[in-house]
Amino acid sequence: MLFLKKYNKYKHPYITISITILIILVFLSLFAPVITDYSPVRNHPRDRLQPPSRKHLLGTDQFGRDIFTRILYGIRASMQVGLAVVILTMITGGIVGITAGFYPRIDKVVMRFLDAMMAFPGIIIAISLAAIWGAGKFNIILALSFAYFPRMARIVRSSVISIKDLDYVESARAAGARDSRIILKHILKNSASPIMVQATFNFALAILDEAALSFLGVGIMPPTPSLGAMVTDARSYMVVAPWMILAPGIMIILAVLSLNLLGDGLRDLLDPHLKNTIKN
Amino acid sequence: MRKEKKITSIVVLVLFFSLLLSGSVLAQEEERYGGTLNAALQMSVAHLDSDNSTDSMITAMMNHVYEGLFEFDKNLKVHPYLAKSYQVSEGGLVYEVKLREDVMMHNGQIMNADDVIASFRRWLEINNGGKLVAPHFDQVEKIDQYNIRFTFKDPYAPFLNILASPVSNQKFVVRAEEVVKEFGTDIIERHVGTGPYKYEEWVPDQKLVLTRFEDYTPSSRESSFFAGERIPYLDKIVFNFIPDAQVRVSGVRTGQFQFAEEVPREQYQIFKRNENIKNEIIYPDRMSMLIFNSSEAPFDNKYARRAIAYALDFEELGYAMIGDPQFWRLESALHEEGNPWHVPDAGEGIYGVYDPEKAKQLLERAGYNGQPLIILSGQDNQMERQGAIAIQDQLRKIGIEVKLQLFDRPTVVEKRSKPDGWHMHLSPFIKVVPDPQIHQGWTGTNKWITNWDSKDSRQMDQIFAEMLREVDYEQRYKIVERMQAELWDSVPYFNILDYSRLHIRRAELKNFQAGWQPFFWNTYLE
Repeated sequence: MLFLKKYNKYKHPYITISITILIILVFLSLFAPVITDYSPVRNHPRDRLQPPSRKHLLGTDQFGRDIFTRILYGIRASMQVGLAVVILTMITGGIVGITAGFYPRIDKVVMRFLDAMMAFPGIIIAISLAAIWGAGKFNIILALSFAYFPRMARIVRSSVISIKDLDYVESARAAGARDSRIILKHILKNSASPIMVQATFNFALAILDEAALSFLGVGIMPPTPSLGAMVTDARSYMVVAPWMILAPGIMIILAVLSLNLLGDGLRDLLDPHLKNTIKN
Repeated sequence: MRKEKKITSIVVLVLFFSLLLSGSVLAQEEERYGGTLNAALQMSVAHLDSDNSTDSMITAMMNHVYEGLFEFDKNLKVHPYLAKSYQVSEGGLVYEVKLREDVMMHNGQIMNADDVIASFRRWLEINNGGKLVAPHFDQVEKIDQYNIRFTFKDPYAPFLNILASPVSNQKFVVRAEEVVKEFGTDIIERHVGTGPYKYEEWVPDQKLVLTRFEDYTPSSRESSFFAGERIPYLDKIVFNFIPDAQVRVSGVRTGQFQFAEEVPREQYQIFKRNENIKNEIIYPDRMSMLIFNSSEAPFDNKYARRAIAYALDFEELGYAMIGDPQFWRLESALHEEGNPWHVPDAGEGIYGVYDPEKAKQLLERAGYNGQPLIILSGQDNQMERQGAIAIQDQLRKIGIEVKLQLFDRPTVVEKRSKPDGWHMHLSPFIKVVPDPQIHQGWTGTNKWITNWDSKDSRQMDQIFAEMLREVDYEQRYKIVERMQAELWDSVPYFNILDYSRLHIRRAELKNFQAGWQPFFWNTYLE
């Protein structure tokens, strides 16, 4: 594994920090039901707006629900959305990018469409799609994937174009390899690093935008916990119950920051041109 | 001789002191005058013609400029205001109204029958309240300069209450005849009324400035909210339009505003600790209504609708929906305590009775097949959003699957107007209505959002038809009692609880009364 080898050589601090945070977050979201006894949706209105205590680590919200529990389930939802969006964008963006990069005729038509789509900020496309299709986790995943895939396609396409005229591709072709073999064996493998970097950024962006959509009310429907929706709810209680907004806010920051750091670190690590800028 | 002198001197002394005392009272009274009040209101208005808009903000602000023939007191009891007295005869067909003869208008003329009749005709034609009255109305005649006769085709009992209505776009106010002639049914831009304040300046989206009307003649009746004596102590009232709640709050904190409308209830305790700020909780104010879609299973059956009333713990809902119990109270009746139409025992045996077992039995009786129920509600209003979430949670606890659909207001209004796609709908109702007839929920079988069309709904039509014709209060109250009993029997919708908004004011603003619409006569700055 090229990545591990490089990592061992340079010990990039960004990557170390971000991977640690990510592992913790993934752990929390995977084992949420084990970590906490509370239900993320069950109301206890008489215990509303309790400050952090031993009973409720991060306090309770306006329905008396344990905020720590809701955050665990909230990260879970964020991670699910992020992961699903990344996979979907990698598949769709990959297919479109490779076909466009490999077949110049298709390229001209497809890329103009994608350019037009990229003219709009992703969140605007996502909001309008979520508004049309209706709120819900599945619809957000589709909407965000649709909004992000043009960028992914563009990145894949450019690396395909730069790789496809290289000598080893030419020799493979001369040796009689079919297109599918060249794409899978040579091109895809060698364009993996930019795709991976972009995927990490997409992951972060998806978490952030899911929070934004839920904040605006077109995201995950209550009472299912979502970090963004928790921030919306907390807004009106900010002055009297600051723990309500701090906890989900910090969680969003942690998740997005760690993914962005990871992306930056990966880019530094995998980009041959930037190799020399890495310091120990 | 000496004794007499002594008595005389005592009398003189007493006289002297009483004079001194009355002088100081007068001086105190005099000291109240003056100052500019800056009020922060939450929404801007499109224009200032209350007959032409359903915006309650217009009514609230222009109540200082225009006054009604009749006005409501604290308990929503109607009192003559610009009218001196009135008489109802011929079984509710004829209303003879005597006007006060000392009412000066802002154009320097005395208000007379012509002004009232011109305003009334305009009201009848374009105002929503007027449109309710119009089908039953025959004609308005001038008897003499200060006497008017209103004649109906058939008895219309809510007439006086609608004239004084606190609801937007219903109240009848008197404008100068010249203005009505000038603008006709168009939006009025020149304001000549009879109120304690007159129009000075309006900067759209920014502010409305009113100044004291020096020749104002207050009513001699006892002051209570909108009825009775109004004294304009303040020189000037400036209504500022500040949409952001937190900006209104900080404005009051710094003293930029002396009054702010609708601020977050959650900050009540914080305001309480600040000695410069006083909390004003509005009551009566709002109800949270749970409305059933009576055209679709399971709620096409009244037992299923009743089941939900038993399945919900209203008190717990109060904490979840509103929070601090100072801002909500359980109330089964459509009219609050103290109101002439309050029915104290409405909903007895069903309202506030938490009995999940009974709920399950009733649902079974109604043939409920376990399908998921959809709650349609707004997501911008705290009561609607949190109420829907809390109801879902409570119903889930007893094994009823519930789905939430929370949308912005226009989408909610569009979706609820459809006969399918939703089962329950949570909506805020205004508690302050002029008359049981004009109760917001009932407009007739199948006419409102409940899609209610059955034997029960037609019986309700009948009750409302009787209520419309009955002029005698005692008799009419009995009909209202029947209406309430019927509502709790067939439950097309029901009131979960009453809740209040919170206004704040500076401590130096004295004698403020927390009415359903803010008003600033009789208040003064220290």
